[in-house]
Amino acid sequence: MQYSFETVGQALIARLGGELDLHTSPHFKEQLAKFFTTHPQIKYLIMDVQDLQFIDSSGLGVILGRYRDVEERGGRLFFVQANPHIKRVLQMSGFQKISEFADSTADVLKRVEGGQL
Amino acid sequence: MAGTNWVKFEIPSDTRNVAFARTAVALFASQLDWTLDELEDIKVAVSEAVSNSIIHGYQLGEGIVRIEASYQDQKLTIVVEDYGQGIADVKQAQETGYTTIPEERMGLGFTFMHEYMDEVLVVSEVQKGTKVILIKEVPPRSEG
Repeated sequence: MQYSFETVGQALIARLGGELDLHTSPHFKEQLAKFFTTHPQIKYLIMDVQDLQFIDSSGLGVILGRYRDVEERGGRLFFVQANPHIKRVLQMSGFQKISEFADSTADVLKRVEGGQL
Repeated sequence: MAGTNWVKFEIPSDTRNVAFARTAVALFASQLDWTLDELEDIKVAVSEAVSNSIIHGYQLGEGIVRIEASYQDQKLTIVVEDYGQGIADVKQAQETGYTTIPEERMGLGFTFMHEYMDEVLVVSEVQKGTKVILIKEVPPRSEG
């Protein structure tokens, strides 16, 4: 799998590609957790999953872990451009209750920066 | 006109092999008339079953996971078996949110298997191993 991080103000954009499962999730989990520790200003986590092809409960566990950080900091979790299958997995696991699904990172950033959240 | 076919393989308990197992089973299953979404569902179910064998059956240690997929007409049966520590309470293990590693896991593995497959059977014996049987039939499609 591939991933990259970008910060914009209080938002962290995590772009994921490939497959997030039992094998690939530990490294991603470690790097994402480290990013949160070293960037205490991050309140909003934007998961850009446009290029994510597969996720199972191992991958979801990683995202749930960081959701707890986001919640603690009074922020919010977003999923951007989830394909229909990824969206269904997210919905089934209850993520639609604790996050928002958006069409573009720019839209989310506009809301975050515009103080609409 | 699917008839009968099967495939069997074994993998070492190694997290790298989870992707191979789910992809291989999906490739075999694609001989039937699934939609792409249904094939993705099968991949998730297999991924969860194999991950369980590696994480829980073998505690991320050494072991063999045996995978068998077969179909009779449009009914697919997948067996994922390990010879690890087994599950003491099979019913409890299948409850949504139940996990023995709450700080890392969501307890969703069996939930996904139940959601994405028609039937999930679990046979387990402590210190002997666990066999998970996943069954799914191609739903009738309207013509055209």
